[in-house]
Amino acid sequence: MNVHTIYISLILSALLLTGQAQATGTVGDHVNDLQGNLDNYTEEVHWIIDKVDGIVNTYQARGREAAGADGVVDIWEAVDFHSAIETNNVPIYASIWQGLFGVKTAIDNQEHIENVREQQAMLEQSLWQALGAVKMAANYQQKGLLATVESTGASTPVETMDEIKQLLDRVVAKFAEWLPDEATNIVHDTYLTRFEGVEGMLIEQDAALVEDLEKDFNVTLPLAIKDNLSVDEVRGVVLAMQAKLDHAKSLLVEAEKNRQDVF
Amino acid sequence: MKRRSLLKAGALAGTLSNLPPAIRYSLADTPAQSVEQLPPLEGELTMYLGRGEGGLYESILDAIRKRNPGLELGIRRGETAALGNTIVAEGKAGIRRADLFWAVDSGAIGLVDDAGLARALPKDLIGQLNPEFRYPHWAPVSGRIRTVPYNTERLTAGDIPEQIMALADTDLKIGWAPAYGAFQSFVTAMRLLEGNDATIKWLHDMNSRATSYAGELGMVMAVERGEVDVGFANHYYTLRLKSGKPDARVDLAFTKNDAGCLVNASGIVALGDGDLPINFIRYLLTREVQSYLAREAYEIPLVSGVEPPQGLPSLNDISPPAVDLTRLADLRPTLDLMRDAGVL
Repeated sequence: MNVHTIYISLILSALLLTGQAQATGTVGDHVNDLQGNLDNYTEEVHWIIDKVDGIVNTYQARGREAAGADGVVDIWEAVDFHSAIETNNVPIYASIWQGLFGVKTAIDNQEHIENVREQQAMLEQSLWQALGAVKMAANYQQKGLLATVESTGASTPVETMDEIKQLLDRVVAKFAEWLPDEATNIVHDTYLTRFEGVEGMLIEQDAALVEDLEKDFNVTLPLAIKDNLSVDEVRGVVLAMQAKLDHAKSLLVEAEKNRQDVF
Repeated sequence: MKRRSLLKAGALAGTLSNLPPAIRYSLADTPAQSVEQLPPLEGELTMYLGRGEGGLYESILDAIRKRNPGLELGIRRGETAALGNTIVAEGKAGIRRADLFWAVDSGAIGLVDDAGLARALPKDLIGQLNPEFRYPHWAPVSGRIRTVPYNTERLTAGDIPEQIMALADTDLKIGWAPAYGAFQSFVTAMRLLEGNDATIKWLHDMNSRATSYAGELGMVMAVERGEVDVGFANHYYTLRLKSGKPDARVDLAFTKNDAGCLVNASGIVALGDGDLPINFIRYLLTREVQSYLAREAYEIPLVSGVEPPQGLPSLNDISPPAVDLTRLADLRPTLDLMRDAGVL
């Protein structure tokens, strides 16, 4: 798969989830005109980086109390770019939250400044990656690709597998946002409203795989969230599930080829 | 405890007197049609389609589109209950966006029918359905029966009580998926058949020792593993598991004339004017579509002359209870009972 294909996949699939993002009440109309708002988003990324740098500098100079590390979350929530990336690339969105809380936690724990700077660097890297992803999304939005996908929705088991993978990305994002209950709800909803609808077909192809994914959905992932493992560990569970879902998808593609016609 | 053998000869005795109320909607039988006998579909239709069935409904819709190039079929997909509520809300606002509503369960159909939005169907169309599935304002498309999957290493079918209410008095290890829509329809049927007091007592008794699962396939797999002895689930989960794992240690038992063997159905409602929505429904009742649903989705065909899915007895050999399926829409009292019993 080339880079463009990967991006198209990420962007188009993320749009399927726009409805969920809007449920948070934070998405503005600007996300429907990404191209027209790119300058604003770019300015916001610079602003976030400057603001966070200010907090880290203050920590270095005057310590934890003066730094006010809670401010990193407020900074992020104040910008339009937040919803632009949330609606267009959930995995990077999760990395930004991971970076924000990385900086905040390192300061709260009064860690050595080098550790804080390391977290800051990871955050900045995620922000630039995010800006690149939004620019790419703007390009595809201009070509009309995103709106087409948004109005269609998953209609086949194979498409549903992709949708499930994207919802699992959102689980990581919400966990990275320190919203574990919301993350767990997405796991349960994804199981009941997506996976449960296709696992009957899948079990005819590979019963052991379904057994494995059943455990992932109902035990392994909820437990990883409940036990408050690190974002990387939760992401690891999700990545393993996504690999299994890819295998499941290939099985369903083969099964579809062998299916008899209706008429 | 009263025991029985699975599907004894003669289980049909009394069936005709126990058929659901729909049978009283008496019509002349009309033979199931072939798609070759149907008129082409031409024009625009908007369908609200309840999510489910793993995309097999989509395959049917694609096949109908392919066969009818003059048909412009727009589809809005969503959760069945949510779409039913949307149609009712649109109706109250004097708007009609959907010409057809294909729902994966009949409860949502009842909601739309109760709101007076469903069109009356022609008698010749209704007459194609098996007598117990004839309703004036909606057409059941395919059926599924509640079953008691059991672990075959621990039990035989004869170990399962004939009555679902009696399961609460056994020492069997039981699995259930109470958050699951099909389970809640089953409890609704129990409430309608047995009354609130008996239902809440049953729920309470079962809740003290049942193991909960998120979904019914997961629960059937737990039965197969021996985690629990028996469970409650729609029939197709077990059939599909056995298809993928032929040596699976699970089989189906059926209770008798109670909610435990409720036959529920997906169904379709015509909301739009003219012949087109009605003729579209005719396609879903053809022998070809009914066979496809039985073969690929393990759903029960509801027209005469089409074989049930492999591994499932004929409906004639099962004694489902008399329940008007559209009454299963009345979920709120059921959820209240389940909460009162501490199940939800």
